[in-house]
Amino acid sequence: MNRRLSAAITAGVILAVILAIYIGGTFLPESALRADFSQKGLPPSASHIFGTDFLGRDMFTRTVKGLSISLVIGAAASVISAFIALAVGVTAAMGRGWVDHAVNWFIDVFMSVPHTVLIILISVALARGVKGMLVGVAVTHWVGLARIIRGEVMQIRGRQYIAASRRFGKSPLWIARKHILPHMVPQFFVGLILLFPHAIMHESGLTFLGFGLPPEQPAIGIILSESMKYISGGAVWLAFFPGLSLVVLVLLIDKLGNTIRYLLEPREAQL
Amino acid sequence: MKRIRKIIAAAAALTLAVSLLAASVGCGPSAPPDASETQTGVSSPVPAPSASTTTGGGESAATPDGDTTAAKTEVTIGFTSIPSNYDPLTTGGHGSYMSLIYSTLVALDSDVNVVPDLAEAWEVSDDTLTYTFRLRTDARFSDGEPVKASDVVFSFNTMMTAEGAEIDLNAIDSVSADGDTVTIKLKQPRSTFILDVAGIGIAPEHLYSDDFGQNPIGSGPYKLAQYDVDQQFILEANELYYGKAPQIKRAVFIMMSDEDTQLIAAKSGQVDITLTSATLAATNTIDGYNLLVEKTVDNMGIVMPVIPAGSGTSALGNPMGNDVTSDVNLRKAIAYAIDREKLCRDALNGYATPAYSENDGMPWWNPESVIETDVEYARKLLDDAGWTDTDGDGIREKNGLKASVPVYYFAGDTARQATAMGAANQVLENIGVELVVTGLGEEDVMKIMVSQPMVLAWGSANPITSYYLYHSSSVGKDDWYDPESFGSPVVDGYLDAALNATSLEEAIPYWQKAQWDGTTGTSMRGECPYIFLVNKDHLYWRRDGLNTGEQMIHAHGAAWTLVANLKDWYWES
Repeated sequence: MNRRLSAAITAGVILAVILAIYIGGTFLPESALRADFSQKGLPPSASHIFGTDFLGRDMFTRTVKGLSISLVIGAAASVISAFIALAVGVTAAMGRGWVDHAVNWFIDVFMSVPHTVLIILISVALARGVKGMLVGVAVTHWVGLARIIRGEVMQIRGRQYIAASRRFGKSPLWIARKHILPHMVPQFFVGLILLFPHAIMHESGLTFLGFGLPPEQPAIGIILSESMKYISGGAVWLAFFPGLSLVVLVLLIDKLGNTIRYLLEPREAQL
Repeated sequence: MKRIRKIIAAAAALTLAVSLLAASVGCGPSAPPDASETQTGVSSPVPAPSASTTTGGGESAATPDGDTTAAKTEVTIGFTSIPSNYDPLTTGGHGSYMSLIYSTLVALDSDVNVVPDLAEAWEVSDDTLTYTFRLRTDARFSDGEPVKASDVVFSFNTMMTAEGAEIDLNAIDSVSADGDTVTIKLKQPRSTFILDVAGIGIAPEHLYSDDFGQNPIGSGPYKLAQYDVDQQFILEANELYYGKAPQIKRAVFIMMSDEDTQLIAAKSGQVDITLTSATLAATNTIDGYNLLVEKTVDNMGIVMPVIPAGSGTSALGNPMGNDVTSDVNLRKAIAYAIDREKLCRDALNGYATPAYSENDGMPWWNPESVIETDVEYARKLLDDAGWTDTDGDGIREKNGLKASVPVYYFAGDTARQATAMGAANQVLENIGVELVVTGLGEEDVMKIMVSQPMVLAWGSANPITSYYLYHSSSVGKDDWYDPESFGSPVVDGYLDAALNATSLEEAIPYWQKAQWDGTTGTSMRGECPYIFLVNKDHLYWRRDGLNTGEQMIHAHGAAWTLVANLKDWYWES
């Protein structure tokens, strides 16, 4: 089996896991999260692999539900963020000198602000909830990718076929659409996927701190902050398994991003 | 190379997991320290009492070492409320610092009897419009000045015009002093007036100013020695107190609002007594501490809008009414379908008793408000009212309307959540009505509570609570008393009669009839605007040897009700 095939299989497996979490969580019947007082506060066992909480709800079910919400928000936030990055990056590279300077200056300013604080501010200003979280993560995470895209565009801009197009009298917009954007596809996708775990961590982290999703959402951050009440009483499984699942999911998506980069640009990426 | 990467990845995973558990956000360094501290509790150590010595003007705070030396006179209390204002005339009322720092004309004993305090005797005229209080002459404020009748007049007059006062004194016509007597004339009879008087602290006229709330001086058993915003306050015995000198000379109240913080504080011996929850009480034991279980009238129930949707909007413009819960048969069916004993065991580990009204066990309670669980009757009510399960999903419908409503609770209140979920399980299983239990932030609750069921808690030592809850005059106001929009001419009649009765005793039959008069009433046998569920026990970790005296049946709120009799506490030798 060559490396390309194994990479493809890895990507497929990870995608399948992510899809399973998404489908499992999204189509979970309401009744699966009902209290069952005959099962309350049980440590992990064969019938409840993550244990149960103090309302008798299965922690594995709750975790899957929470992760599926994180996936949706993470996906939406990183897609928005990636498109912002693409627009800004291409504009900077294709525009005149002062446009590039202005955009770069703006990116520097943006990067100098601790973005977690910025997300909290934005989220709170938008009354928190899914909207606050989405906008907060989306508008703070495009800067890195925007820089990369700007760099790539600058490189391509110097190529001869671009110069030729220009001589033929094509407009910058036409050149950007026909010659530059297609080259950006790999960076764009890989950047998007690598934003994904970041967005998920922010969603959970801020929700945990009480600045994110409202408490009625069965989000992973809510599960973790709830569990803090019981850790001192010894019920560590309430935090450990959901927390670990979140970390594993984040690492899986990270791996997926790197694998896809390898598949798209085998010469530049390493596995 | 690959193996090293794997090891690094595993290490990274572990680090991430650990840092996640330690309340870090994705990007650790920029996590706001304040936020993580307040939210987790685990990472925020209990503010050690000794930390306050720097701000305490050289006064050393209680030592949290847990030494049980002979004749201990100090107590450290893990508390959930640190007032920022101790002005008795603009804040407070029942269930606060009032009985600790201030004298009241009359007080309530542990059996809810009205007993003398600052007034050694009082008389009520035959028409019950004139109350005459004779003050004791040995009472002094903690600054040494005697408590005069003019201070009482001043306090009442100030409170009548103050904004934010929690006691409604509209019934008062005039307050006047003559020597050692204070005469209060009422515009109309008011049976609860003497209970109102028991909640009014007397402030010194000669010291009263705008910042009196930060520098309070009273004539009660304790005086405020120190106060640190949101952290702690310290009471010391008032040597000039006219009553029996308290054995606890110094009480340190430390802010700890989280259940886990309270548990850790007790486990590490930092507090002598602190609150806890039914879950933690059932799953923990602490060496050197016992679990204090106090019975309460702190009832939890689901309040249900009794008017249909489209019944207009509330004062703040929120749409009122609910088409499902406006059917009285459906409300009663829910009430009868719940096995409350089971609910107490299931949801609160037995630390609760069944609740049937907002005032179970109080003198003005109607014992006929008790209902037996009767699932057959509940089903029949629904069948007769046209609620049947036509599509076989286990939930009844009527004319296309599903018997399914959300039930909101304040997110984070685990007792309310568990109780509501337990009730919802029983209701769905027994009668096919779905209650979807949903947590909500307090700011959002205000908007939906006039149109959706929610879990509320009541319980006070004053029957006027029933008046506020059920009298039609409060419909449409966006306050906690009337989200259900209940009003009935019959009940209004009883409530008015009760309030206008000439004495507490005379009012009792009316209060009881308002609950159930044989045909109607506010109880679950009658119009059933509230599905009462449980009276939740108040639970505390108490250090062995601390005697907390004989406590009055606890009203709503576990903090102030515990310390109301602090002057009777002592350490057993």
